[in-house]
Amino acid sequence: MELSFPSELGFEKVARDAVAAFARRLGCDRERVEDLKTALGEACINAIEHGNGRTPGLHVDVSCFGSEDRLTVEVRDRGLKRYQGGDQVAGIDLKLRGLAPRRGMGLMMIEQLVDEAGFTESPDGGNHFRLVLYYHRT
Amino acid sequence: MTSPSSGDEPVERMIELRLPSRLGYEKVAMDTASSLARRMGFGADRVEALRTAIAEAVTNAIEHGNAQDSGMRVLVMLTARPDELVVSVADQGRKQLDQDQTTPSPRIEDAFSRQDKGGWGIWLIRELMDEVEFTVAPSGGNQVRMVIHLER
Repeated sequence: MELSFPSELGFEKVARDAVAAFARRLGCDRERVEDLKTALGEACINAIEHGNGRTPGLHVDVSCFGSEDRLTVEVRDRGLKRYQGGDQVAGIDLKLRGLAPRRGMGLMMIEQLVDEAGFTESPDGGNHFRLVLYYHRT
Repeated sequence: MTSPSSGDEPVERMIELRLPSRLGYEKVAMDTASSLARRMGFGADRVEALRTAIAEAVTNAIEHGNAQDSGMRVLVMLTARPDELVVSVADQGRKQLDQDQTTPSPRIEDAFSRQDKGGWGIWLIRELMDEVEFTVAPSGGNQVRMVIHLER
């Protein structure tokens, strides 16, 4: 399944509902679907705000593929701002004590909620973020 | 998110959804459209009408237009405007819809005699939506364009 929506805050909620329906269709249980919705919402907000700079004319593309044991979701933007990885993300303790930037909480949360998450190679210049959910928790 | 914006920015917003032609995936289209419609301000009964119309349009596309070939896609386009939601459902036209079938007035007696109790989809869509138009999609497939008005 593929979904494409304008880069405007609010549309991430429609994307969450679309992907949740797809995940339920594949047989994911309720709790896992809720985790996926939260993680996907964060990933879409990153794409809307950073990758596409909230330009409604630019779309965020979401693809979902189901295989035997897992659901893979890819979120792609146009990369107006590229994710600058590399640095170790500061831990929550440092963030709460004000010793590290507050930003980056979304990515930390996503990693806790799904089984695999991260940016992948993107030859077209945009940011490609991939989320993987195993149907049965290992 | 659908409030009119200033300047030259378009006030319409479009969501595109591509689904495999397998029964069950119409639920994804129903949930996506109702999520958008609720956020635009449609009431619960209008959202239900929309869900039913989309279910009929997408199952027609899966079963008839794409003849349940799961490699074929159903394209659902949702266009949010300040005062209406336009939904267009297109298939890849393995089987062309006969124009005579687009303005049906089915009889309950005939429906009972049919094994699948089918034949009511297009009639139902016309009953539920404010504007309905059957055309040929750019892909050459069948396309139905449905409009539901936002009454405030």
